[in-house]
Amino acid sequence: MIAVEDLRKRYGKTQAVDGLSFTVEPGRVVGFLGPNGAGKTTTLRILLGLVHANSGQATILGKRYSQLERPFCQVGAVLEASGFHPGRKARNHLRVLARAGHAPAKRVDEVLATVGLEGAAKKRVGGYSLGMRQRLALASALLGDPGVLILDEPANGLDPEGIRWLRDFLRSLAAEGRAVLISSHVLSEVEQTVDEVVIINKGKLVAHGSVEELKRGKDGRVRVASPQAKALEEKLAKAGFVVTEDGEALLVAGATSAQVGEIAASSSLVLHELTPLATQLEDVFLDLTSEEKT
Amino acid sequence: MIAALSSEWLKLRTTRTLFWLLVALSALMTLIVVAGVIGSQKHSITSAKDQLDLLGIGSLGIFIALIMGLIVSTGEFRHGTITPTLLATPSRTSIVIAKALAGMFFAVALVGLAEGLVALELAIALPAKGVDFAIQGGPAAGFIGRILIAAALWGALGSGIGIVIRNQIGAVVASFAWLFIAEGLIIAILHSNAINSNAGRFFPFQATGAILTNGSRNSADILSAGGGMAALGGWMALFTIAAVVLLSRRDVS
Ligand SMILES: Nc1ncnc2c1ncn2[C@@H]1O[C@H](COP(=O)(O)OP(=O)(O)OP(=O)(O)O)[C@@H](O)[C@H]1O
Ligand SMILES: [Mg+2]
Repeated sequence: MIAVEDLRKRYGKTQAVDGLSFTVEPGRVVGFLGPNGAGKTTTLRILLGLVHANSGQATILGKRYSQLERPFCQVGAVLEASGFHPGRKARNHLRVLARAGHAPAKRVDEVLATVGLEGAAKKRVGGYSLGMRQRLALASALLGDPGVLILDEPANGLDPEGIRWLRDFLRSLAAEGRAVLISSHVLSEVEQTVDEVVIINKGKLVAHGSVEELKRGKDGRVRVASPQAKALEEKLAKAGFVVTEDGEALLVAGATSAQVGEIAASSSLVLHELTPLATQLEDVFLDLTSEEKT
Repeated sequence: MIAALSSEWLKLRTTRTLFWLLVALSALMTLIVVAGVIGSQKHSITSAKDQLDLLGIGSLGIFIALIMGLIVSTGEFRHGTITPTLLATPSRTSIVIAKALAGMFFAVALVGLAEGLVALELAIALPAKGVDFAIQGGPAAGFIGRILIAAALWGALGSGIGIVIRNQIGAVVASFAWLFIAEGLIIAILHSNAINSNAGRFFPFQATGAILTNGSRNSADILSAGGGMAALGGWMALFTIAAVVLLSRRDVS
């Protein structure tokens, strides 16, 4: 549904996007992650036809955004630095966009209710809090009832309840078969929401896979203790895992605790401890985007 | 295109900008009409021609129309609404044309209201001063028609300039610096013996003057009313095209 191919964008001396490629399939919520300045916003703006790439392709539903028949009703977007006229009431902001984007006028009140702003619909946006603005931005993305959603740091400014609401909401959208691409520089924010993550750093792809796959990455280790350590070590080595001793316990590299537990059970070995190490996604993320790796 | 135009129309009606411009316009008109009538000798405001000149006070509304055009466009960049605007209407040409048409329409509305107000105030102020209201329908209609055409062109020109310059204060300052300083300076240079050209009559302010001039024009330095409209229309077309090209080429980030 979303396809980015060998995309490049340079701002003066900064190579903001540097040969980036990835795809997003329908019904998937994909986290688009990277540290500050990684090129997330630039990539999303190119996808939406707001920024011109130097080379490469960025298409949605097989077409460039501006080539879509009814772009506003096919793709919804929330972008950083996308604004509101402070003197315009929220409801009017949406009416203006609905008219321009060919969305039915009745959607305005529907999306206001969806994001929980019906009570503040007649207030001028200048008096809105950051979280309310974020909800209004989300409402405008939903106006056209689009099948594809592109959200740049949508959780910014939301309170914990709002973040939780957003998470459930995105899951329900994906369950309806929509594709969602959601950027963040804080992994924990999207960890529970996304099916897959695309991690970029300095404009380049660092990793793309399911959350599970990434957690199982090369630094995934399991600490296991057993009164029958010798036998367990043999069984694990036979299964192809690299095992090292760590005091009383064993460290198993490249395995999940489930795998280790199953091997132990199949040989009726007793376990006293089974702890996954360094499998916090945050660590994987930091590791993947740290200086040495690039 | 129609969707974009309808959206622009709604945009202007849903902020208080237009309201405040109207207030400013009405206050300005009233002030000048009252001062013009009270401050004049009776005999200098008695003839139909003199009173037509007083009616021309409403043409000052053109500057308000220009400011409105500038605000319509630069406001999008100032508040960052250009991003949702472009998402809803990806065609840059549609946006520029919709803004130009909206600028035109609201300029005509603003200046039309200003003229109506001035006419009303004159109809009250002149008899109060003991002078008969002598303006006749025919010449007045022609004059007001030309003022409204100039206003329409300036409204569209303002929205084009706004997209080209983007910065709100920069655009207002640049426009008025051109009108009241730069244009006059350049014309003085063109008129100097070394160059001796009257090309300055094609400039926007001079062209506007040509559209609004009543009666005789015996100088080669001023265009006919039609020539003035063509020249000002040319400027409007130039800035509209520049706006399309720049809005299409520039990154919005
Ligand atoms: N309009 C611009 N002009 C110049 N440089 C820019 C512009 N926009 C982005 N950049 C640069 O491009 C790089 C990528 O920026 P981008 O905004 O895409 O990062 P990001 O991943 O969205 O970061 P963040 O998490 O802080 O939002 C940065 O080095 C930034 O300074
Ligand atoms: Mg960003």
